[in-house]
Formats: sequence, structure tokens, C-alpha cells
Amino acid sequence: MVMRIVEIVVSPIIAFVIGIFLLGLSRKIMARIHWRYGPPITQPVIDIIKLFNQTSMSHGRLFNLGIILSLAGSMVVVLFLPIGKLHPLSGSGGLLVILYLMLFGPLGIALSGGEAANPNTSIGISRTLVLALGYELPLILILLAVMSHYRSISIVEIVRAQQETHWSLLSFPLVVPGIAYLLILPAILGERPFELIKAPQEISSGPMVEYGGKYLALATIQHAFSSFISIALFVNLFLGGSSNPGFFIMKVIVVFVVEVLINAVFPRLRIEQAIRYLWRWPALIAFAGLILVYIFKR
Amino acid sequence: MDRNKLVKWLKEPAKMGHKYSLHAVYFCTGCGIIEVPPSITARWDAERFGVIPVATPRQANLFLITGYVSVKTLKAIIRTYEQMPEPKFTVGFGSCPINGGMYWDSYNTIKHLDKYIPVDGWIAGCMPRPEAIFVAVTHLWTLIDKEMANGYKKYRAKYRYYRANQEKVLGTLEWPPLFSIEGKDEELVKETA
Repeated sequence: MVMRIVEIVVSPIIAFVIGIFLLGLSRKIMARIHWRYGPPITQPVIDIIKLFNQTSMSHGRLFNLGIILSLAGSMVVVLFLPIGKLHPLSGSGGLLVILYLMLFGPLGIALSGGEAANPNTSIGISRTLVLALGYELPLILILLAVMSHYRSISIVEIVRAQQETHWSLLSFPLVVPGIAYLLILPAILGERPFELIKAPQEISSGPMVEYGGKYLALATIQHAFSSFISIALFVNLFLGGSSNPGFFIMKVIVVFVVEVLINAVFPRLRIEQAIRYLWRWPALIAFAGLILVYIFKR
Repeated sequence: MDRNKLVKWLKEPAKMGHKYSLHAVYFCTGCGIIEVPPSITARWDAERFGVIPVATPRQANLFLITGYVSVKTLKAIIRTYEQMPEPKFTVGFGSCPINGGMYWDSYNTIKHLDKYIPVDGWIAGCMPRPEAIFVAVTHLWTLIDKEMANGYKKYRAKYRYYRANQEKVLGTLEWPPLFSIEGKDEELVKETA
């Protein structure tokens, strides 16, 4: 019982630290790709310290509650994800709960931003929700394939099964949904080529346009959490998780660096191009994976 | 640069945070903005000092007035400045915001920017080189360290003076006063002098 409480406290802290580290790492790697020196890797921490010390402007009760809902939703997802051997709540619910709770991030931001009546915000919110609709379809197909291959909705069971045999990304029918997950990962992270939610040059950072001070700090922390979650889910489902948290974190960082390289070289898609892409290639590949899993039943 | 001194961070986290995370609002008032793209991109890379441009005033705490300020732009500048969260720092870039520069006899530009919003520092020149922005940033660090970059406090304290000057140029302003403007007219004359 005491161990479980400690795990419930520790695993969001690990996710927070790693998420912030990933943000700093991405800025540094992007800078090196641009042939710049780049900010120190602690720059997101400096930004958050500054933002908490600024005055901040609220636009109403829902503006406050929405951002907290978004952050809390992300923190709850972390409790359901095994980080190495830390899996405080993974016994109950499993992948279905994660699938539902992952929507809380964009929904909370949408609720909160909608309270500030700014035209850029409403464009950003509509893009957030449409993009979420875009990647949820392939994501559900991918999760269905994985769940029906391992005949379990428990993510702990899936990780254990992979550790007994080998990674699902390297085993035959599951490599297909694995590729589909890699294709939608930039959309889940909200990075280029799917950076159209924020799009600073176009709609002045979208839903974040009215966020300043504390609100922006909370939004940054939420972004850190959601980056960690989407990559940790991939590592758990396809890269075999790990029994050791350190090794797990290394896998997360490797996948994130690959994503940053994609982010650094691609331009931004328009929203209808993004949906056309997401519902065509990743969805088709994921569907093919689902059929293959049914054909090659264990 | 004392960014890596942990003791200072523990002692005054707020001040150090404001020093090393200057988010400049990307607002182009005149020709001076041409010097900003080289200074934020690969050639001079302002991000290594924590200076990055952001798209909205709510997320910004550094305001670079780059170049001449026409009367129409002044309205946008004031609105942008009032939307920024405190503490906020303003830097006038180029000679035009200082004293009018080559537009000193123009009917449509303002000559002294610091009559309308408080300015924490100036970069003189026409044009200043991008390096001058970094010199200005290091000077701004010193000012923040000594708590002399208090333009936003001055704006609160002397809002009546600034508002009167703004109204003199722009006519009636379309937005209500940000702070209290209660007081007698004689005080205003004193403040102006």
C-alpha cells in the first residue's frame, strides 16, 4: 500500500523531469541543426521560473479550470503508463483508459482557450480538435491490433509478453501497426509537419495566444507531460518497455531525438492536408496491420 | 554572465528568471526590424542568451521598438505594451524613437517615444548593427540586477502623465484607462515639468 502511494507520487515527477528535459533537448538539437549554438539545456526551466514570477491575466473561471483539467488529465495518464517497473495504476483499466484520458489534454486546452474570445484561439482550437480526430482513428486501429495480438488490454501484460519473446516492432504482424504509430507520432506530439495547432507565424501560437504568466507555465508543463506520454506509450507497446526505469528513459530519449530530427527538416502542413494524410496512409497501414494480426493469429 | 551560478538562482530565482528568459514580442514598427532576423537566426543566434521572439504580447516581456514610430503605430504600440505581463522591459532601437532621427520634421511620426510609454534603454544608431542588440541585452541584465529596469513601475506611478501625452497625439483613446487617472491638473503640470 505504502509502495503504491510512493509510486503514485514518484511516476508523475519522473515524467515531469523527463518531459522538461526533452523540451530543452529539442531546442538544443534544433539549434545545432540550424548551425546555431542554441540555448542551455535548462532553458525551459528558466522560462518556467520566469513565467511563474510574472503577473498573469485570467479571462474567466473556465480559463483557469480548463488548463488545470488539461494538466491533471496528462498527469493521470502517467499513472496508467508503466515506467520500467513503476506502474501504480496499470492494473486497472489498461489501454482503454489511456485512450480516453489522452483526449483530456487537447480538450482542456480547448475549453480554456475558448473562454478567451480571441479569433486566433478559436482557429487554434478547431485545429486542435480536428487534428485529434485525425490521429485518434489510426491510434484506435493500432491499439486494437496490439490488444488483439496479445489478447489483453493490460499494458503491463503486453510489456511482460514482449520481454519474454522480443519487441513487437521487430515481430512480424505487429511491425505494421508499429510503423503506423511512428507515422502519427508527430501529430500526437503536435510537432512539424503537424505544428499547425501553434503555428506562431500564422495564428500567433493558436490556443496559447492569450496565455501569459502562470497559464503559459502550466501549458508548457502540460506540453512536457504529453510529449513524454505519447513516446512512453510507443516504447511500452512496440519497443518492449523495460524492467529498468533508466533503460526505459533512454529508449524514450532515442525515440524523441528521431522525432526532433523530423521536426527540424519538415515544413508545416495545412489542416486539410494533415487530415488527408492521417486518414489515408497511417490509417490504411494500421488497418492492414489489424487484418494481418487476425490472419496470423497466435 | 552569471547564468550558471546556482547560489544566485537559489537566492533570487525571480530576478534571474527575468534576466535569462527575455521573450521579445515580434512587433515591427519600422526599418529597424531588418536587423532582428539575422540576430535571431543562425548568424548571431540570440537564443543562446535566452532571447527569443514570441508571437503574442501576453507571452512577451521584452519590447523592441525598431525604428520610426508613426502616430498610427503608436496606438498599436501602446495597446501591445499594456497587454504584456509585468515585469516588462522596453528598448528603443535606432535613433528615430530617441529623438525623431531623420524624421525629426515629419508631420506623422512622434519624436520622443518615452513621452508615451516608459523606455528602459536605448540603442542609438541608424541602423544599429545586430551586435548592438546583444550589447543592449547585457546592459539590460545589469539594469535588472540593480533593479533599475523599472519602466513598468514608472508606468503605473505616472500613468496620468503618459495617458495625457497619448491623448494629446491620438485624440480620445478607444480603451479605458489601465490604472487610475484621478488627480488634479496642477499635479500633471508638475509631473510634466
